[in-house]
Amino acid sequence: MTDAIPIIETRGLVKRYDDELAVAGVDLVVGAGEIFGLVGPNGAGKTTTMRILATLLTPTAGEALICGIPIAEDPIEVRRRIGYMPDFYGVYDDLRVWEYLDFFARCYRVPEARRSAMIGELLEIVGLVEKRDAYVEALSRGMRQRLCLAHTLVHDPQLLILDEPASGLDPRARVEMREILRELRGMGKTILVSSHILPELGELCTSVGIIDRGRLLRSGSLAEIERSLRATALLRIELLAGTDAVNAAIEWLGTNPRVGSVLRTTDPSVAPARLEVGFDGDSAAQATLLATMIAAGHRVSGFTQATTGLEELFLQVTGQADEEAA
Amino acid sequence: MTAPPMATRGAPFDAVGEFGASVATILSKELRGRFRGRRAFVVLTIYLGVLALIAYGAYVTTAPNARIAAEQTLDPNTGVVVGANLANASASIGQAIFALLSVFQLLLVAFIAPAFTAGAISLEREKQTLDLLVTTPMRPGAIVIGKLIAALAFVFLMILAAIPVSALVLMYGGATIDDILRQQLILFVTAIGFGVIGVFYSALVRRTQAATVLTYSTMLLLVIGTLLVWRFWTEVATNSPDNRFGEIRRAPEQVLWLNPAVAMIEVVANTELSYGDFTGVMQSIRGDAFSFGAGSTGVPLPGGAIAVPDCPPNARCAGIPQPLPPQLIAPTVAPSLISAHFLGRFVISFVLLSAALTVAAMLLVVPAGMRGLVRRRRALATARGEGDAVLTDIEP
Repeated sequence: MTDAIPIIETRGLVKRYDDELAVAGVDLVVGAGEIFGLVGPNGAGKTTTMRILATLLTPTAGEALICGIPIAEDPIEVRRRIGYMPDFYGVYDDLRVWEYLDFFARCYRVPEARRSAMIGELLEIVGLVEKRDAYVEALSRGMRQRLCLAHTLVHDPQLLILDEPASGLDPRARVEMREILRELRGMGKTILVSSHILPELGELCTSVGIIDRGRLLRSGSLAEIERSLRATALLRIELLAGTDAVNAAIEWLGTNPRVGSVLRTTDPSVAPARLEVGFDGDSAAQATLLATMIAAGHRVSGFTQATTGLEELFLQVTGQADEEAA
Repeated sequence: MTAPPMATRGAPFDAVGEFGASVATILSKELRGRFRGRRAFVVLTIYLGVLALIAYGAYVTTAPNARIAAEQTLDPNTGVVVGANLANASASIGQAIFALLSVFQLLLVAFIAPAFTAGAISLEREKQTLDLLVTTPMRPGAIVIGKLIAALAFVFLMILAAIPVSALVLMYGGATIDDILRQQLILFVTAIGFGVIGVFYSALVRRTQAATVLTYSTMLLLVIGTLLVWRFWTEVATNSPDNRFGEIRRAPEQVLWLNPAVAMIEVVANTELSYGDFTGVMQSIRGDAFSFGAGSTGVPLPGGAIAVPDCPPNARCAGIPQPLPPQLIAPTVAPSLISAHFLGRFVISFVLLSAALTVAAMLLVVPAGMRGLVRRRRALATARGEGDAVLTDIEP
């Protein structure tokens, strides 16, 4: 079965620029038909990882395979199977829209007989049918972005590698871009898409990888990541108490086996004092903790679990990484 | 979902075909942009207009002299005007036109070819389109060749379109079709050479501006710099203290092999009816090697006659009738005059330089991160080979 072969597989991918470690051992597996979102702050290593997969960079160490083909061994064959859209790119101003797509179709040696019909279909997918004869120069930013996306599809690749496809677009163009990606998923394409704006990916991706400082901190479906984090939920506890009482409460929390870290986020003199508590337990366990805490005489004025939107997840994951590093 | 079949490694024949198709793809895209609109048409018209003006200028300045020369042809024995040598007069006009056109075309090509190519790769980098191009399955070499041909296509068109202007010469005489072919050969080789130098720098440095500066510097170094080096070297060698007899010690001529101007001067010198400026330059460069008659200090003339340099034939030496042999007055250039010493050496060395720089440019277009690929692939193969060896060792 070909399904068994992941579309993307990297093993211990490392890329070092002089002193800087851009990618520090990324193990990534993306199966067929997935939309995999690579999320991370600027400079996290998203673009470097994608450029390695797009055959533009060789890794310093590790291995990357596309459809089971090692990139280092046969980049040309890999290029036939991927469509790559860089984060920054230019277009040939002096060509018309259809000429632009025709040019890339020829680059991929698409037979002449198929090119014309295919260009029509692609323009339909990205909504540029009426711009067929316009000069690329005259297109708006959003249209250029969609044209670039169309160019990645001319050879009907199995995998699309899209580096920040929605960057610099206005909200409406973003929505359009998302719709197109959804349509492509419907066509059975595997898509690796990156963004530093998380909500953008949340509803679109089947799985997400959170990357920071060159390391893939978590990867899996959103639900999986959430579940794995829930084990160490972040509780925000507010105490209406003086310094001594707060210290006593911190000490008391420390004796609870389920409590991991306790961090005071406000100045000692400020009341109410806020604590961030890493807690290993579900809602029921949290309720028990609150009850015993009040019973023990601590004046709790606030008790919430930090909400886990994608944004929050991300901060949590990268925060944990910081702690581990420290 | 079925994966497409693994590509089979094609025969070398397929690879060549694929390379050609890639070159054609790049070429058609480039030409589409380049020849679109009025720009190409306007540039070509201006170029031909300038050349026609130059040809006319050469005619206007030489025609009166030629007429006088024709009228004042003297009987060498009596010093009496015996009749006009109109053929020779006409040839001197043709030769002047040929000389000017050759030099100006060479200059124009030397300045235009780099302008078209110095941005070939760096503009793609600046406009960030190169990544899109190199992630296609096309070979980087095909991208370089396609861009080079496209950039040179317009220069070639200019050179070819100017042939009718050069062909004016054939009406007057003074240069033959062979001379025009030699002139064209130098122009084409020069266009290719400077075009490749432009593409090379374009692939080497990131900015078009820097590539342009480097290309023009190299062009000037080859055309003017090598002549200066040669002159300086000769001067120093000649004036060195151990040169007790004060003989002229020439710098090695290899210094000038990559100089298209020297090759062109040689071509023009071949057409000179007498000891002229171009012949003078060639003689000072080649020394005795260029004195046509064996062991002679004079300038050979058609029919094997020797003219004394200080009063060449057709020149009017202060009005004093000179007793010269009658066979000096001959309108055509004899084959014995033709020298292709620098022509051949220039063409070969320039073509070799172009080939080397083209290969270098191809290697530079490979994405920066992929340059180690060949080495890596080899390392992988070796590792695998060793792995196999270990396995077989373990097996009893």
